[in-house]
Amino acid sequence: MKERIHKDVVIIGAGMAGLTAAMYCGRMNLDTLVLENGIIGGQIANATDIENYPGFVSVKGGDLISTVHTQAENFGAIVDEFDEIEKVTLKTSPKIVETQEKIYEADVVIIASGMNRRKLPLPEEKKFAGRGVHYCELCDGHAYDGKIIAVMGGGNAAVDAANFLTKYAKKLYLIHRSEFRADEVSQKRLRDNDKVTIMLQTEIKALRGDKRLAEVEVFDKKSGETKTLAIDGIFVNIGVEPNTALFKDELKLTTSGRILAGEDCRTEIAGVFAAGDVREKEIRQLTTAASDGTTAALLAEKYLSGFKW
Amino acid sequence: MILTVFSFESCPYCQKLKRYLDSRGVDYEVRDIELDEEAAKECLKISGDLTVPVTTIDGKNYVLGFDKKKIDALIEEATA
Repeated sequence: MKERIHKDVVIIGAGMAGLTAAMYCGRMNLDTLVLENGIIGGQIANATDIENYPGFVSVKGGDLISTVHTQAENFGAIVDEFDEIEKVTLKTSPKIVETQEKIYEADVVIIASGMNRRKLPLPEEKKFAGRGVHYCELCDGHAYDGKIIAVMGGGNAAVDAANFLTKYAKKLYLIHRSEFRADEVSQKRLRDNDKVTIMLQTEIKALRGDKRLAEVEVFDKKSGETKTLAIDGIFVNIGVEPNTALFKDELKLTTSGRILAGEDCRTEIAGVFAAGDVREKEIRQLTTAASDGTTAALLAEKYLSGFKW
Repeated sequence: MILTVFSFESCPYCQKLKRYLDSRGVDYEVRDIELDEEAAKECLKISGDLTVPVTTIDGKNYVLGFDKKKIDALIEEATA
């Protein structure tokens, strides 16, 4: 039988929003637990050089999040990244968060579960996942030292990944089905690199290889030409999906799967907050994730002090 | 030393794996495939790839990535 433990606040997700909320909750002496099913830092753990977070000229995502993690723990929050959440019940009082090993009863739940990278939508994806198709350049980029790499996508994450991977690649293709959405600074850095060929308005149609990826078939939408590129590894950066499967029966989700909550991070259920990229909002940046974490924590404390929802 | 972990410093899942082994009090050796060419060759020989973390007891039985159940089973086997 699982042990039942009461917490003032359970935070789901240890990315920037969740850890900032944990730091604030800890500072307010709230008994706070952060649960993380993936890696601490979420998407940021894989970011190579962050240049738009105030206070840092350039900082590695892993280093930044490690500092916020330490800050949260220094103020008494506990972060558990090994006990996976299985079920969440939010409409009861207290709210229940059940993990593989324990049952947590929480007065407040802050959902900061973030986003997951979208998988490559091709039937061969499963065959080549980890054998030429990758989603974490920081984890797997080194395996392509001196090889030919492709990066799929045209947003900031894709272009930053491509810039990072040029340190390993002897040749790098940036392949994107439409036009760039990345910041001009990052685009320019990529364009200026001699190893890089940028292929916009180009779709990846098929992956080929025996045990590992060897070739990629691409279709140029402007010329109508199809060609085959010899590629050792492709890093997929075609957007993200909200990590909300645990909450679909508990909260209203938008058509894109995000949680409906205002700028105050309050959801439709009293005592339940949504913070960071998982919340439906127009701007999703690291700075706004930290802002959401702050807001959710401060309003959580008000809620626990008896303020009306 | 009951386990060997092939990894490199900035790999997020390697860091998670090492934190897990530490939390369980498991004795392990770290082989950095970025700093040590021999370690990279050995990792390639074991898993056929340079994707890490790779955790092994004997160079034959190994776990790729962070998979708690498989790591637990490997620890159990190593300590049996």
